[in-house]
Amino acid sequence: MSQVTVLTPQPIDRGDDPRDVMQLVNVRKIYPGPVEVLHGVDLTIKVGELVSIVGPSGSGKTTLLHLMGTLDQPTSGQVLINGIEVSSLSDRQLSAFRARTLGFVFQQFYLIDGVSAVDNVANGLLYSGVSLARRRELAVRALRRVGLGHRLGQPPAKLSGGERQRVAIARALMARPAIVLADEPTGSLDTQSGDGVLQLLRELNTDGTTVIVITHDPAVAEAMDRQVTIRDGLIVSDVVTGGVPR
Amino acid sequence: MSATIQGPARLSPTDTVRVGASGLTSRPLRSTLSALGIAIGIAAVVSVLGISASSQAALIAQLDTLGTNLLQVQAGQNFGGATSSLPLTAEPMLSRVGPVTTVASVATVSAKAYRTSYVPVGVTNGIQVKAARLNLLDALAGTMAQGSFLTKATENYPVVVLGATTAVRLGFDTLIPNSVIDIGGKTYVVGGIMASMPLAPDIDRSALIGYPQAERDFAITGSPTTIYLRSTPDQVDAVSAVVPGTVNPANPNEVNVSLPSDALQARIATNDAFNSLFLGLGAVALLVGGVGIANVMVISVLERRSEIGLRRALGATRGNIRSQFLTEALLLAGAGGVAGVLLGAVITWIYSSTRSVQFVVPVTAVAGGIAVSLVLGAIAGLYPAVRAARLAPTEALRSV
Ligand SMILES: Nc1ncnc2c1ncn2[C@@H]1O[C@H](COP(=O)(O)OP(=O)(O)O)[C@@H](O)[C@H]1O
Ligand SMILES: [Mg+2]
Repeated sequence: MSQVTVLTPQPIDRGDDPRDVMQLVNVRKIYPGPVEVLHGVDLTIKVGELVSIVGPSGSGKTTLLHLMGTLDQPTSGQVLINGIEVSSLSDRQLSAFRARTLGFVFQQFYLIDGVSAVDNVANGLLYSGVSLARRRELAVRALRRVGLGHRLGQPPAKLSGGERQRVAIARALMARPAIVLADEPTGSLDTQSGDGVLQLLRELNTDGTTVIVITHDPAVAEAMDRQVTIRDGLIVSDVVTGGVPR
Repeated sequence: MSATIQGPARLSPTDTVRVGASGLTSRPLRSTLSALGIAIGIAAVVSVLGISASSQAALIAQLDTLGTNLLQVQAGQNFGGATSSLPLTAEPMLSRVGPVTTVASVATVSAKAYRTSYVPVGVTNGIQVKAARLNLLDALAGTMAQGSFLTKATENYPVVVLGATTAVRLGFDTLIPNSVIDIGGKTYVVGGIMASMPLAPDIDRSALIGYPQAERDFAITGSPTTIYLRSTPDQVDAVSAVVPGTVNPANPNEVNVSLPSDALQARIATNDAFNSLFLGLGAVALLVGGVGIANVMVISVLERRSEIGLRRALGATRGNIRSQFLTEALLLAGAGGVAGVLLGAVITWIYSSTRSVQFVVPVTAVAGGIAVSLVLGAIAGLYPAVRAARLAPTEALRSV
């Protein structure tokens, strides 16, 4: 059992440690309504970490992932990725930044219907200026890596849930992003398929990629090296494997 | 620490088209149906233009062979209202006008033509008997359907040449040698049947005999009722102006001069007027097709919010999303346009082969049809594309 530790505020070093790949400084998010979903989140993730962000439904995890993925901007506070402040970038620069630095895995997979597994994966580098031939080559390699070398030409409709999520992981990893963000990657899968997906994410991490997994499932969180627990928009604990507080 | 952030990579044209097409190929039925509106509109426009160009080409070709330099001179009505005939001197006088190249004439004979002498006198079938000059056929650019026209020899004998309509009315489908008809109680041998003459419908309804024979049998004076003359093409108007004075110096206003090719040209023009109706209908079909594409695109954007969100997460810029949906609309409309042009060409081809006229699809109709569809596609796709691009990535990803 991991114990829950209430964190005492600690000094934040902003982007001066090159090993800090992701930094959130007093991040607040207020949706129109107004609904304050994040009440000042401070979080630093170092390069090569395998982190889970765990919390009950509605606690603000997806909101957090969108902020870390530059898909949204905080109402106040700062998000720094590789030391770069996200709010200083234009929409076009953010797009380019996502294409080069970030990989996403979603609970709903978001594969494009009627497009083969290879071409779905090849879309991982579509917006990076890589030629189609090269994209397909890398896509085939990525699919083999996730164990789908025999399913290359299949459209998503012909794949099982576990296979679809592995296609989505192949799409995220084929661009060799520095950070992979996964939102409930096992949320739509049975335990066995889910374990396979977690195994893949762990392998990806062993290669040096920083992997951040968002989940409401404590068992999934347990499988990661570091577990950050969020509740009602606040981080309530942050422990490394075995329940050791950071 | 300052890091330079590179801008987004450009999508290659091939990738742009592939991405745009992927939305269509994954929903083939819907894509086909929504391209259909444009296809029907373009097909209507192209086939109307094609059919009209084909039939105009036929008329223009006919005009080319018949010539637009034929003048027809007739005696007008005098103050008493009676038709005066042209003076005997009219033909030689006209021959002396410089730009006039050919002068030919006919003179109406009061006798009537019958298949046999047993036919009741009143049943004339509207056939007129006329004395004709030997060069009449050349002057009218006419041809013989069967047999031969009057010659220096046969104009002195009871030989008749039948106009196309006359031959039908008298029951001559094919010319059997030594066939005879009855003219004013005298037996005439049918020497030939003329092909129809679009420039002189009168001649189609006539039976022609030689001037000398007509003078002998029916006591005509030799003064013509109608003169046909050809002038050098660029002098038609000038000749037309001097004809009345030349023909009848005393009463030039009793002479009517007409240009038979005007009637053919008028038919080309009437075609145009009739076409505008169909072109209007085609335009309405195009408009409906354009609205249909806009509608499908709006639905497509709503349905594919999560795809838009995913693409933004993969690094697509707003511009990439906008051009994806714009390309999709352009491809849809373009495919409709190409299909419409092909369909229109097929309809024109069927028309031209059943009417045995030349097959013409104007290049402007083809290029214009495709250009119009692309413009429609751009207009129809613009609003949905802009909406898709404006969608915030988070909003797009939360939509499922
Ligand atoms: N666009 C939005 N506008 C208003 N409220 C939102 C919006 N997005 C999320 N929320 C609310 O924010 C809260 C946190 O949502 P979310 O980040 O999805 O949590 P989780 O992923 O942990 O379930 C929920 O109460 C949700 O209803
Ligand atoms: Mg969530």
